[in-house]
Amino acid sequence: MPSGVSQLPAEPEATPVPGRLGYSPPAGGYDEATVGPGSPRAHWAPFFGALDDLGPPELARRWRDAQHLIRDNGVTYNVYGDPRGISRPWQLDPIPLLIPPDEASHLEAGLIQRARLLELVLDDLYGPQRLLRDGLVPPALVFPNPGFLRSCHGVKLPGGRFLHLYAANLGRGADGNWQVLGDRTQAPSGAGYALENRIVMTRTLPEAFRDCKVNRLALFFQALRDTLRSIAPRNRENPRIVLLTPGPYNETYFEHAYLARYLGYTLVEGGDLTVRDNRVYLKVLGGLQPVDVIFRRLDDDFCDPLELRPDSFLGVPGLTHAARSGNVAVANALGTGLLETPALLAYLPRLCGELLGEDLRLGSVPTWWCGEPIALRYVLDHLAELVIKPAFPASRMEPVFPGELSRDERAGIADRLRARPWEYVAQTRVDLSTTPVLNNGQLVPRKMVLRAYLAADKTGFSVMPGGLTRVSASEGTMVVSMQRGGGSKDTWVLTSGTVNEFSLLTAGGRVELTRAGGDLPSRAADNLFWLGRYAERAEGTTRLLRGIVVRLAERSGLADVPELPALLRTLGLLCEPHPAVNGTGDPQKRVIPAVFDLKYPASLGTAIRGLRRVASIVRDLISIDMWRVVNGLGDFPTDLDAYGEDGPTPADVLDLLNRTVITLAAFGGLAVESMTRSEGWRFLDMGRRLERSLHMIALLKGTLVRPAGQEGPILDAVLEVADSGMTYRRRYLNSLRAEAVLDLLVFDETNPRSLASQLAALEDDVSHLPRPSRGAGRAPEQRFTLAALSAVRLAEPDRLAAVHDGTRPALGELLDHVGGWLPILSDAITQQYLSHLQTSRHLATTEPIRRTAAESGDRL
Amino acid sequence: MTQYHITHTTTYDYSQPVSLCQNVAHLAPRPCHRQRAERPVLSITPDPAVIEERVDYFGNPVSYFTIQEPHRKLTVSVSHRIAVRPETPPVALTTQPWEQIRDRLPWDRAANWLDAYQFAFDSRYAAADPKYAAYATHSFTPGRPVLEAALDLNHRIHSEFIYDPRATTLATPVAEVFESRRGVCQDFAHLMLAGLRSVGLAGRYVSGYFSTVPAPGKPRLVGADATHAWVSVFCGEAGWVDLDPTHDQIPGTRHVLLAWGRDYEDVSPLKGVILGGGKHSVRVAVDVHTEEPGET
Repeated sequence: MPSGVSQLPAEPEATPVPGRLGYSPPAGGYDEATVGPGSPRAHWAPFFGALDDLGPPELARRWRDAQHLIRDNGVTYNVYGDPRGISRPWQLDPIPLLIPPDEASHLEAGLIQRARLLELVLDDLYGPQRLLRDGLVPPALVFPNPGFLRSCHGVKLPGGRFLHLYAANLGRGADGNWQVLGDRTQAPSGAGYALENRIVMTRTLPEAFRDCKVNRLALFFQALRDTLRSIAPRNRENPRIVLLTPGPYNETYFEHAYLARYLGYTLVEGGDLTVRDNRVYLKVLGGLQPVDVIFRRLDDDFCDPLELRPDSFLGVPGLTHAARSGNVAVANALGTGLLETPALLAYLPRLCGELLGEDLRLGSVPTWWCGEPIALRYVLDHLAELVIKPAFPASRMEPVFPGELSRDERAGIADRLRARPWEYVAQTRVDLSTTPVLNNGQLVPRKMVLRAYLAADKTGFSVMPGGLTRVSASEGTMVVSMQRGGGSKDTWVLTSGTVNEFSLLTAGGRVELTRAGGDLPSRAADNLFWLGRYAERAEGTTRLLRGIVVRLAERSGLADVPELPALLRTLGLLCEPHPAVNGTGDPQKRVIPAVFDLKYPASLGTAIRGLRRVASIVRDLISIDMWRVVNGLGDFPTDLDAYGEDGPTPADVLDLLNRTVITLAAFGGLAVESMTRSEGWRFLDMGRRLERSLHMIALLKGTLVRPAGQEGPILDAVLEVADSGMTYRRRYLNSLRAEAVLDLLVFDETNPRSLASQLAALEDDVSHLPRPSRGAGRAPEQRFTLAALSAVRLAEPDRLAAVHDGTRPALGELLDHVGGWLPILSDAITQQYLSHLQTSRHLATTEPIRRTAAESGDRL
Repeated sequence: MTQYHITHTTTYDYSQPVSLCQNVAHLAPRPCHRQRAERPVLSITPDPAVIEERVDYFGNPVSYFTIQEPHRKLTVSVSHRIAVRPETPPVALTTQPWEQIRDRLPWDRAANWLDAYQFAFDSRYAAADPKYAAYATHSFTPGRPVLEAALDLNHRIHSEFIYDPRATTLATPVAEVFESRRGVCQDFAHLMLAGLRSVGLAGRYVSGYFSTVPAPGKPRLVGADATHAWVSVFCGEAGWVDLDPTHDQIPGTRHVLLAWGRDYEDVSPLKGVILGGGKHSVRVAVDVHTEEPGET
């Protein structure tokens, strides 16, 4: 019996949970939880006992809540080519994988040995290459390997370590033995998802979690944090550490933002960093701030378009040389992807003997590199039993199972192996163990793979007491992949001792914008600016549309609604020309595209989509509640199919707009109440204020510059759309006067909706932005804001309200004047703070070539 | 012994200011037995904020420099004094049969064989393919001495392909060159390497200069010389032998060597990444001036 596998016969008196939930694993394989139908393994007994106490209905209820929690927290996983959009909710199963203490310590010892071995192999291949000369590693696995980065050869590493976070995929075969299926050495993903899974599970099954005595994860992340701090070439007391992500289109972007927030690092994209004087700097609003450590989630070759892969601008030009100069530490070290080469597994036992003088404790899946003639012969003779993979991971060839192919197809594979044998490896097909997952109230078996994580520490490596367990999508599926619809599980490593309660999370888990002054990345500022603009654009558009639709719903024709043409005119002013919206047809038909049409840039749907997209990018900068509110907008319909053949009725649209306006108001409220007044907030606020000014200008232009004969209903509608009706009535009761309305909406700086309020707030915002210390007088953005604000403050309400020849010329003039300053102001802010967000490109080419973020980064 | 004074100037003009420019240059001649070079003088305008020299993975000198002030024009100029010694190549007929080398490369771990083996693998611009194998096999007939066969391939590329500077750009894949039968020195070098690698042999890409000889009675045109590229083939016990498919010859004293690698990408004379710049144009002027012995 393999070490750590334990069994216990079921208690005879009661049918335990696995039996009651109908669990019956397939015969012949190894099941993690049971030794047969209804007979749990000993270490699962407390867990099933806790489930028993809970009962199936309560489990189902808890599980529904957990799924809401996942959705509300916005835990997503990007699936490439998914027509439903880039992000899909994270798939978590409520039944964790349980690992008993003895088995965990067996795995721990094996994994640490393996990490030490890989570290030594890297040290040699990027150094003296004795392993090649001594025939311990075939040169043909190194020389043509895209993972072997020649420009990283001989680089002296801070702290002398290559692997700071390393992961191994483990599978258990039918014999009960764990095997390493593959190594992730450059930027292993999933540790953040493991953490999120744990947080969800402790809320969902707190009793089971307590009863099972589960090890906590926090100490592991503390070790990782200590290591990353210790490798800083300078500022070791308080180094600046950034987490470099390929960007929001990468499949594990959620995790990047999540880990950045959890570990307290600044989340950056390549464009946020620049190399000057051989040092890496973060572009922040106040200028450039030195970076000491880069915790990168990018594949090796994407990290530097100058010296590595020339067609990738996800990285930082000059990074390799900065690392070579010893001025920045990159974790994991550049070039570590070399060891993700599956063919290397075949050589590890011998390498372990040579380099460590030990036997390899934890075996790999049996692997043959076809570049060895003997191995090739074996592989060709046993093709049907094997799985064929590329020798080098960069080729991204999908695994081939010759046993499932026709005779001809199998012969085709054999020809490919003979033609270029060095490009392939063959591995034994592991009959992976099964473990129960909850499916429609029943426990069903799924194949599983465990990803284990190790962090470098002072003396060697620490193993995460947990990991990311992934399960296959269906019972018949052999391949375990999140991209192919598989799910995940929390991994509970059980302890026989006491549980360490250490936690890295701050109390309550609520996250505020934490960036202190002066270090907000410029790109983040840009995104927050647009977050503010989209949020306000959506809110303003919703209020206007509601003003229109409520009138369409309540009354029958245009005749009894004199204010309707004015509101429709406002809609036309706000929106770029749209044949339907700006036409003269049925008002109902004119409103529908302005609400729903995603092809139309000024529609509400488009603004909401923009808001959600930008919010997902700045997820690490806004509070979780703000993110939840934005997530709630995911219900906004993206097409009209939901409303059946006749389309939505005015009542349907009104209901939608009412719900939307409340959500958006909540977002605005949180922006005011739950964000510190940092630079990031200033940019968000400037975006809001600019957009609200534009809306107010359009509203007044559309309704009051050319007054109609009966102005009462129009003034009423204007007050309603501008959300100022209450204030007005408190002051003036039912006496509707244009000069009083204009005073409230244009001049009154105590009214948070007035134009003057927006301009005064903008003036305050720009005066709080960091600026170069040199230079007397006001910056351009200060001058422009002041010009607009002064024009409003100096105008006279009575003159604005005066009508000449059917128009209000003074009002029109003022609105045009202020409206003219706003785009100039926006440009000035961009010029001053955001202009260095240019893209790099190569000399002697004309177009920047961009690789998409989807292509870099570890897949799950 | 021929003494050269070489100047090589590259000028970039930009329509918009470039705020940051980072570069890697292979512009200093690699020390090797048939060349003796003085330390080259590299002059760069505007002044680089960082300029550092090191030796790359293949043993070539390489410079890294950055310009951190806004500029609309970048000039990188290098001048060398270099003496090239004539060398007697091995007698082709006495070199080993090519198959012996092909079969030994994967297994011999001696330093020179291990070093050579890395040049037997595909690289971005010179990857093996059955069509190049078929082409090269006309030269690499069974049992033929390796240098004789390589010289034959060299000759065939020279005679069957047309030198045409308008036919290709830096980015033209070797497959297209093979199809159109047109190209420049760099294309012919890549094609030759693809052929050698396709039959299992090791070949290096060599970057350097070629001294032009003025037509009889005409003065030399300053700046008319060019950077040049040729290959080096591993001949086993006979070592590496350079071959120039563009001129159908074994490089002699008219070839000045800068650097070698797997293909152009490893040793391009100047590469860089810029921030800003708008549209840009590039001019390259190379002058290889023969100095009589005793001239200063």
